Amino acid sequence: MKKFTLDLVNKYQKYISVGRPQKCKYYPSCSNYTSLAIEEFGAKGLLMGLWRLIRCNPFSNGGVDYPSESSRDRLKERLSA
Amino acid sequence: MGSILNPLYTAVSWVMITFHDLLSFTNNEDLQWSVGIIGLVILIRIILIPLFVKQIKSQRALTALQPHMKAIQKKYKDDRQKQSEEMMKLYKEHKTNPFASCFPILAQAPIFFALFTVLNGISQNRPHGLLKGEYLISAQQASFFGAPLSGTFLGSSDGITKIISIVLIIFMSATTFTTQRQLMVKGMPKMDSSNNMMLQQQKIMLYLFPVIFAVTGVNFPVGVLIYWSTTNLWTWGQQYYVIKRNPTPGSPAYEELQRKKIEKGVIPNPDEATSGDTALEEPKGQRKQPKKKKKKR
Repeated sequence: MKKFTLDLVNKYQKYISVGRPQKCKYYPSCSNYTSLAIEEFGAKGLLMGLWRLIRCNPFSNGGVDYPSESSRDRLKERLSA
Repeated sequence: MGSILNPLYTAVSWVMITFHDLLSFTNNEDLQWSVGIIGLVILIRIILIPLFVKQIKSQRALTALQPHMKAIQKKYKDDRQKQSEEMMKLYKEHKTNPFASCFPILAQAPIFFALFTVLNGISQNRPHGLLKGEYLISAQQASFFGAPLSGTFLGSSDGITKIISIVLIIFMSATTFTTQRQLMVKGMPKMDSSNNMMLQQQKIMLYLFPVIFAVTGVNFPVGVLIYWSTTNLWTWGQQYYVIKRNPTPGSPAYEELQRKKIEKGVIPNPDEATSGDTALEEPKGQRKQPKKKKKKR
């Protein structure tokens, strides 16, 4: 299940969101956030991701928001890979 | 799943029926139902205009932050993560975020799904929302240039349905293509080399989208294709208007508009304004062209 959802987010990033202008008001983006959260927290991470999606609305001001302290380094690794 | 979407079915069918009834004086069921779908798109997009305006306004507010942004880019030019973080912090601090946000895109999906189900229900004689009884029968017989609204390319042996589907799919692809190209060529600030990979991906997608549309579009009822085509046309028009009248600072369209304004004398020419100070150092003669950044495409 965990692998499946991670795969889903990955597919979204690879095939749907790619090449479109940035929409997300946060850093990391909602999809990166969700993927980091699922990786670390499993099902709870998925809920965190959904909550983030809801928070990413026209009335929010965005900002920097990681699912956890450690996820910043994990994203860094991903980016440099 | 059906019961969760019930209110949406009602809403979608209500809008369609309302437009249908408003045009009852035309006595043309085909026109009435086609306009019902197009009206649904227009209504949704009109509701979304304030959000769009809000986003454009915050994008324009960035001009004031330009020096800060440049400083951040310079300071963290080797660390893209840190750079993005600092940018986001800056936006938050000034309460002006140029991005559209994710939720509205997500929120549109159920509406699209509801329309898909309602239109599919017409062909399968299944009522959804308010579209039942006489309305259902009349919608079943309605067509768009001879192709039934509920017919699909794959699901019908009828030549006219296939032709209309193809025409609509080509139209959808063409509008998506031109919308994206317009944004890439004219609407975006010029990219530096760090974004080159993104630009490459963007180019690939530019040509891949029509293919994706062709593959998925053959399964969609003509009514959904009309919806999709109208949405794309609206998006294109909206973007065209913004790029022409209110372009993003730093984009080619912006420079073009500035040049026009200078020619018309609406805003003072920055080169002429400073020429008094620089006259001693620079030999006069040829007028200096407005600053042009290096093109990297």
